[in-house]
Formats: sequence, structure tokens, C-alpha cells
Amino acid sequence: MQSVSPPGTAPRPLVDDRARSHNGAPPISDDLAMALYEHMVAARVIDERLAALQLSGRVLQHASALGQEAAVIGAVAAVRDDDWVFLGSPEFGAALWRGMPVALYAHRAFGTATDVVLGRSRIPSPSPRVGRNITHAVGVAWAARLRRHDLAVLLLFGESATSGHDFHAGLNFAGVARVPLIALCWNGGPAASSRTAVAGVAAKAVAYGLPAVRVDGCDVIAVWSAVREARARASAGGGATLIEAVGAPPGDGENPELGAARDPVARFRRTLEERGCWGEDRERQLREGVNADVQRAIAEAEMSPVPAPDTLFDNVYADVPRHLREQRDEWARVTGAFA
Amino acid sequence: MVQALNDALRHEMRRDDRVVVLGEDVGRIGGVFRVTQGLWDEFGEDRVIDTPLSEGGIVGTAIGMALYGLVPVPEIQFADFIYPAYDQLVSELAKLRYRSGGEYTAKMVLRAPVGGGIRGGMYHSQSPESLFIHVAGLKVVCPSNAYDAKGLLLAAIRDPDPVIFFEPKRIYRAARGDVPDEDYTVALASAAVVRAGRDLTVLTWGAMLYEALAAADEASKHGIQCEIVDLRTLWPVDIDAIVASVEKTGRVVIVHEAPKTCGFGAELVALVSERAFVHLQAPPARVCGFDTPFPYALEMEYLPLARRILPALLETARF
Repeated sequence: MQSVSPPGTAPRPLVDDRARSHNGAPPISDDLAMALYEHMVAARVIDERLAALQLSGRVLQHASALGQEAAVIGAVAAVRDDDWVFLGSPEFGAALWRGMPVALYAHRAFGTATDVVLGRSRIPSPSPRVGRNITHAVGVAWAARLRRHDLAVLLLFGESATSGHDFHAGLNFAGVARVPLIALCWNGGPAASSRTAVAGVAAKAVAYGLPAVRVDGCDVIAVWSAVREARARASAGGGATLIEAVGAPPGDGENPELGAARDPVARFRRTLEERGCWGEDRERQLREGVNADVQRAIAEAEMSPVPAPDTLFDNVYADVPRHLREQRDEWARVTGAFA
Repeated sequence: MVQALNDALRHEMRRDDRVVVLGEDVGRIGGVFRVTQGLWDEFGEDRVIDTPLSEGGIVGTAIGMALYGLVPVPEIQFADFIYPAYDQLVSELAKLRYRSGGEYTAKMVLRAPVGGGIRGGMYHSQSPESLFIHVAGLKVVCPSNAYDAKGLLLAAIRDPDPVIFFEPKRIYRAARGDVPDEDYTVALASAAVVRAGRDLTVLTWGAMLYEALAAADEASKHGIQCEIVDLRTLWPVDIDAIVASVEKTGRVVIVHEAPKTCGFGAELVALVSERAFVHLQAPPARVCGFDTPFPYALEMEYLPLARRILPALLETARF
């Protein structure tokens, strides 16, 4: 196990999987714990259903976050509701936490007329291109700091983004400008680390003058605690923090048994049961409710019409400029599809 | 022109506290061409921001600031340095409104000195405007004089869409003229007929306007009266002004510094051909930079100066 000790931070070793990795973390209430779990299950069920539909070619727009439920939900739950959140493609679970109905995500996946895109609750519409919104998140945090607003930005991205120039530029700017940013990087395991000469992500923070921590990304309370701490540092004017959430997808090819044992959803269910606030009945109720929601949402989205053709020309600019009006009118004239 | 641009920035920063300036050496130093001189003293480091040297980082963080509700006016030190930020401009800034169904926008004005003629060589002389005109969601502006520079910059900052604002560095200090102190704008997407004539239309912008004017003076000695249209906003371009002039003269010559192939002149020829075909009495002509990298020692051979424009005027007029 590696630990990283950037200037001014205590090393925090990645805790062995069999131990309780959130020892010493602030306790969370049963209500919060159950809410976290319910959203993790919802994210998992949506993921599994849409991934299956994707295989059969019925859904085009969906990026799986299978196994990242603890990191995504734990992180977004630890910041304030009015903080901004930037997502990569797979982290739709964060939008669920902010109140996005399942139906809305289904409309997005199917690209229907009802799709109003993921962007809501200060979660800007993600770019599917890896790492491109890192500097945007830094810019929002910078603007909040310039305006002396007590807000922070949570940025979620994957390890592959750390190879790109946006990661370097973004974190360098974040360090220079001391912006209130929590940059949480999901590092999906051994395969990923071979893409860089130095294993792990947290070590990179040293060069930007940022504190960094590594946490068990499959432990929702460990993630929640680390983000909570970073959020407090941001509020106190301490600038940005890089958090490396180390994880492995469930069903790890190299070690299926370990993969299953690390499954963040199954693990957290055991934790809740140990706390005595969860049992078979609640689990069945939750699963039935989520399954029904997801099935209904998918059925509705699949039946919904595609957007009206003339919307193609909207929102390129604030107003439809002359050349686009002409192209729209010409298209209408030759197709007769709309007046 | 430098003073007019500085005046516009100062004016708008006083009027609207959401406006911030950022870029490499724009603060204490006031920019390599001094366009932002004195702003750091007046508005402080929270609104006039010296950034690390990363064009992609400058534009990316400016997008974030704009998302938050600020109105960033980032400077790229030379238009030639814009390519590391091209991805952010094309894939993020230009598409944000569309991608989010109108829910999120990032309004900014990106300023960059453009063009040759100051012995800047290959990497301080380029004219990349057509690379941005081609991208849906961006507006592109290029003033040719001090009055327009101030009025267009104020209009660009107040426009709801992202604007790429190219400043022809060859005439930064040469293009003088009366610039009113007060608030005024020059509407985007409106061209100006700077010289009226009946025989031939010249479409141009930026520093080459003055070469076209010099060539037109010579042409008039041959009895050819040129009408010169300064496009001012390159996109969306003022189609009506172009068509009106070409319908009157029946002949068109386009002058720009950028390489000829797929330069904006190609689009202008297409527009004229589509809309004024029956009025044309001669093939449209283009006098442009060559399809080479921008040269250092031979820049005056590369640029479409008056001596290269004049033959095109005569040949087109006499076709």
C-alpha cells in the first residue's frame, strides 16, 4: 500500500479492504446512511438496466459507473446543496442525489423530446470528452473566490483524465489561485496505473502545492469523510484538495472474489445491517421501488417522440441568426416537414 | 487603436463589475501590446488576472468563470498561440449552449492580436479567423480603426454569445482617429462602406483595408471607381451589405491575409455567387496570403499588399 505525503498533510494510507476504513471518521446518522445507500442502489440498478439495453443497441447515451457508487454518491452527499458539481460522463449518480428523477435520465439516454439534459441543480451538462471540464470547474471555483462567496466546487473525474493537459492546467491554476475545489479522482485499479510511470494519482498533487489524500473508493463513508474534510478546508480559505478514490469494479477480472467483496453496494449494505438500521424487508422494498421506477422510466422514454426537427437550429446562438434561419427555412421548404 | 481598446475595457469594467480580464502578463505589465495597461492599477488583481502560461487553461477557466456569471475577457497573447485553446473554444465554449439545451451558457470575449507586418515571423503573424467562422456557436470580429475597435469591443462584451475578437496588430498604433470618451457601440454583423464606387466591390477587413484603399487610389487613376466594404464582423457576416454592393457593381475582389485556400474569401465568393449570380460581370477574384506558412524574411511578399491588389482590381474591372 502506498501513501503520499504532500507538504503540510499527514499521510493517510489506503486502508486494507478487510478493515473498516472509516475508523475515526465523524459518525453519520442512520438517516444519512440509508439515504446514501438508497441512492447507491438506484444508481446501480439504472446502470445495470441501461448497460443491458446498450448491448442490444436500444440505448446510445449511457456511460457506466458500475462500482463507483460509493465514490460518486459519497462525494456529492458531503458537499453543500448549493455547491457546484462537475461530472465526467459516468457519474450520473451525483445528479440522482441532487434530485434528478430517474425518468429524466432515461429520456436523456434515449434522446427524446422530453430530454432536458443532465444539467440541473448546478451540475452543468457534462462533456463526454475526458477531462475537458476540469478547467471549467476550476474557473467556477475561482469566480466564487473572487466574489467572496462561500461556495465550493466538487469535480469528479477518472484516472485516465490525469494523462491530459486539462488536468495539469486545471490543477496548476487551482494551486496558484487557491480556489475552493474538491477534485475527486476515481482510480479504478491496477490496470489503470500502468498508464503513468508513477502509480496512483495523489502523488501528482505535490507538484501543484495541493494537499492530497487517498481513500478507499469502495467505502462510501470513507469518501464522504474525506470530501467533508476537503470542503471544510475550502471554506476556510485553504484552497483545493485532490482526493484519489481507489477502487476496483465489482467482478474484477484478475480476482473475482476480491472484486465481489469490494462491491461498494454490498459492502455498505453489510455496514447498515451491522448498525441495525437495515434488513431484508427494507432491502426488498427498496429494490422493488427502484426496479419499478427504472422500468417505468425506460418504458416511458422508449415510447417518447424524438425532438421536433426545427429544434435542431435552436440554442446554437442566443437568437437564431440569419444564416441559420435561412438553412432552417430551406430545409422546411424542401422537406415540407414543418412550416 | 490600442488606446481605444483600453478605453473600452476600462469603460465596461467600470460599468459592469462582472467583467474580468485574464491572460498572460495582462496585469502588472499591461499586456505585450499594452492593451490592458493601467487596468490592474484601477481594478486590482481580482479583476485583472495574470495567469499561468497555458492557453487551454486560460480559456477553460474563463469558461468556468462565465458559467458562474462573470463576463471574462481573456487575452491570448498572439492569435498564433490560440491552438492549445482551440479544443476548449470549439468543443466546449461554442457548444455549451447547444449541449445543455440553452440551460448553460458561457459568455466571453476572447481577444487576440492577429496578422502580419511587424516582422513577427511564422508564429506571431497568423490570421486564423476562418477556423473559428467554421465553428457553429462563435462570432468573429475584426476592427480596422480606433472608433470601430471601441464600439465593436463594447458591443461584443454586451452580446449574449461568445465572441472571438481579433485585433490587427499591424495597425495597433497606426490606426488613429477620433474616439469619443462616451459609451457607444458599433453593432455586430454590420459592415461599413468606407469608400463608395460604381465599378467594383472590394470586400476586406482589418489591416488589409488600408492596402485596399491604397490600391483603389491607384485604380481610380485608371478610371476605375472601387467600392470598399469593411466587413468589421466576419461572422455572422453582413450579407445584405455585400449583396447590395455587388448588385450595384457586378464585380467583386476579396482581400485577406490568411492563406487563400478555404480562407474566408472562399465563403464570401460562394455567398456572392449564390445571391448575386445574375449581377456578376466578371469572375470573383481573391487576393490573399499564399498557401504557405507565414514567412519571416519575406512577409511583405506574402501579404496581399496594394501592389498585388491593384492588378486584380484592373483585371476584374476590365474582364
